[in-house]
Amino acid sequence: MTKSDLTSLTKRELLEIARERDLVGRSAMSKQELVEALAQETEEPSRVEQPEVEVIDDRLDIDGIGALPLPGISPEDRAEARARRAALDDRLSRFVDRSTHCSWTSIEGHPCGLPVLADTVRCGLHGDGLIADKPIPLTGSLSFSAWPTLWRHLSLATYDPDSFGLDPVIAEMTWNVLNALYYDYFRVEVEGVENVPSSGGAVLVANHGGAAIPYDSAMLALAVMNEAEPPRRVRVVGTEIFNMLPFVSHLYRKVGAAYATRDDARELLKRGHLLGVFPEGERGFMKPVWEAYRVGRLGRGGFADLAQDAGVPIVPVAIIGSEEVHPAVMVSKRLAQLVRLIFPEQRVEEIAIALNPIPLPIRWKIRFLPPVEPSGDGESIDALEQLERVEDVRRSIQDALDDMLASRTTAF
Amino acid sequence: MLVTGAATWTGGNLIQRLTRRDDMTVFAVDDQTPRIHLDTDFRKLSLDGLDLARYVLDVDPTIVIHLQSVHRTSEEGRRASSEDRILGSLGLFGAIERLTSVRSVIVKSDTAIYGASPRNPSFLAETTRPQGKPSRHQRDLAEMERFIGEARTSHPDTVFTTLRFAPIFGPKVGNSISRYLTLPVVPTLLGFDPRLQLIHDRDAVDALEHAIDNPTDGTFNVAADGQIYLSRMLRLGRRIPQPLPGRMFDAALRGMTRFNVPAPDHLKGLLKHGRVTDTERMHREFGFTPTHTCRQTVLCGYERIDAKHDEI
Repeated sequence: MTKSDLTSLTKRELLEIARERDLVGRSAMSKQELVEALAQETEEPSRVEQPEVEVIDDRLDIDGIGALPLPGISPEDRAEARARRAALDDRLSRFVDRSTHCSWTSIEGHPCGLPVLADTVRCGLHGDGLIADKPIPLTGSLSFSAWPTLWRHLSLATYDPDSFGLDPVIAEMTWNVLNALYYDYFRVEVEGVENVPSSGGAVLVANHGGAAIPYDSAMLALAVMNEAEPPRRVRVVGTEIFNMLPFVSHLYRKVGAAYATRDDARELLKRGHLLGVFPEGERGFMKPVWEAYRVGRLGRGGFADLAQDAGVPIVPVAIIGSEEVHPAVMVSKRLAQLVRLIFPEQRVEEIAIALNPIPLPIRWKIRFLPPVEPSGDGESIDALEQLERVEDVRRSIQDALDDMLASRTTAF
Repeated sequence: MLVTGAATWTGGNLIQRLTRRDDMTVFAVDDQTPRIHLDTDFRKLSLDGLDLARYVLDVDPTIVIHLQSVHRTSEEGRRASSEDRILGSLGLFGAIERLTSVRSVIVKSDTAIYGASPRNPSFLAETTRPQGKPSRHQRDLAEMERFIGEARTSHPDTVFTTLRFAPIFGPKVGNSISRYLTLPVVPTLLGFDPRLQLIHDRDAVDALEHAIDNPTDGTFNVAADGQIYLSRMLRLGRRIPQPLPGRMFDAALRGMTRFNVPAPDHLKGLLKHGRVTDTERMHREFGFTPTHTCRQTVLCGYERIDAKHDEI
C-alpha cells in the first residue's frame, strides 16, 4: 500500500492495519505518524529478521549436536516480546480517556494537561490517589515519548507522593525501562495471575534468590503490573539496608517499594494494597548456586500473622530464574566483615560472590498459586496454627518450584 | 495564664493572639527580650530552674503553656551543660506539683524525640519506640517528657497536653530548619532524599490555642497532612540543592553555623533519614486539623503563595 492509499483511510482503519502488523507504540501515534510508519514498513518488509535466523542455523550446524541451549535471545523471542508489549499497550490505553484533559491547576498556576482516567474527571496524578494502587500510565501508553510530559510534572512537583513515598512519575519511568528486562531479556512467563485478588489487600509470599541484585522483587511487581487484570501495584518490602544505601534509600520508596517493619506492613494492608514479601530474607538471597530453588525457613512467619490480623489471603508465588542470573559461587563471611569495617552502619552477615558481573539472559517463570484464605472470623491464630500455615505455604512454593524445574529443559 | 518562651516566634504570636481575647491575663517569661512588642506582663528571667519555679509559685496560674520546654541551646545544638537545657522544665514541673490551682498544662515538645534512624517505621505513632542512637536533643526531649509523666501521676486532676510539633516552617520563624531551607543554595546529603513533614507557623499557633480551648490529656503529634521529599521542597521553593558526599556535607553544616544558621546533630539525622509521624490521634482525639497541607506549608514558607490566615 502506498502512502496516498493509507492517507485516504480513517484512523480506526489504520490502527487495525497497525495491529495486524504488530506495530510498536501504535496507540500513542497520531494519524500522520501511523501513515508514515505503515508506509515505511511496506517499503522494508521485515529486513531485520532474516539474516539472524541464518546465523543461528549456522551455529547449530557447527555444533552438530542439535539444539544446544546456548545463552542468547532468538528472533522468535524478540517477536514475541514485541507482541506482548503491544498487547500490554492496548490493554493499558483502555484505562485512559484521551479525548478529555485534566482541568487541575496548581496553586502556583501550572496547568495539568494530562488525559483523564476513564470514567473520572481527573488524571492519575491529581485524582483521588487511585494510582497508588492501580498503576495506569499517565499519558495512556508506556513509552519514552511520554517522558517529556512526565519530566515536566516531576520538575514542577505538581503532585504529592503517596503516604509510603511512592512517586507515580518515577515509578512509571522505571516501569517503562524495566519492561525491557521483563519482556526482552528475562522473557518472563506468568501463570495463574488470576490468583492475585483484583481489589483489596493480599500478602504475596515468594521465594528469594539473586545473590547480587534483587531482580525477583522487581519481576514480581512487574508481573502483576503487566499481566493482572486490572493492573495492580505490589508494594514489595525490603530490609533496612535499603534505607542506608545512598541513592537506593529514596529510589526504592519512589518506585513503590516499602520498608519491612510490622507497622508499615500492617498499614499497607489496612489501605488495601498488595504486599510483596520475601520472608527467606538475606539468607535466601545469598544462597550459593548449588542450593538454588531450595526454599529455606520463611523467617519467623510474621506474614501469616499479618495476613490473619488484616483478614487478607496469602498468595504463594514460585519464581524460577532469579537464582541463575548471577550464580553465586561462594558465600563469604570475611568479606562481610570487611564491608562492616568500611560501613559500620550496615548490618551484613555474609556476602555472595557471583560468577559474572553481567546478568545472564535466563528465561524466567513466575507462578501464582491458589490463595490461602484467612481462617474464620478474623480472630488471631495460635502459634502452632501459624507455624503450620507457614509450613504449608513453604511446601506449596517448593512443590511448584520442583514442578516447574522438572518441566524446564534449559535455563536460557 | 503563664507562657514560657515568649521571645520565640510561636510564643510571641500566641501571646499577641491571647491578649486580644480578654478572657485571661497572660504572664510571659523568657530569658531573652522578645523582638516583637508584647502587650502583656513580660518578665525576663533565666530559665535555669529556681528563678522560674519561684516566679510560677508567685503568679499561681491556672493554665501553663510551656513552649521553652527544652532550652534553645539544645535545639540549636550549641554547647551547654545538660542542666541548663532542661532545668527550666524541672523547676516548672516542680512548682506545678506544689500548686493546686493549675487546671491544664500545655507543653510544646518536638517530633525530634523520635530521632532519625534507618530502622524507624515509615509512620511514627506516639507510642512508637525510637530506634538507633539518640542525639542530645532527643535525649533532652525524652527526659523532659519524663518530668511530665511524673507530674501527671502526682496530679491526676490536671490536664497535661504534650504537643510534639513537626518542624515549624515559615519565613519569619527563625528556627534551624527554616533558616536552612531558605538558604539560596541548600547543601543536601548526596544519595539521600528524606521524607519530611512540616507544620505551618500559624497552624502551630492554632494548635496551641486549640489546646487551651479544648483541654485534652495526652501526647499528640502535630504535623500538616501529607509529607514531602526534601528535593521536591527545594524545587517548590526554587532553591538550588547542592548534593555533597558525607564528610563534605558535615563540613558544610558546620560552616553554616558561622553564618547564623544553626545546624545541630539532630538536623543532620533528619536530612539523612527523614521523619514522618502518624497524625491520626491529632485528628481523632485532639480534634485539630491544620489548615495547610505539607505542600502548602512549603509554598507559604517560601512566600510563593499567601497563608490562608490573616496576618497577625
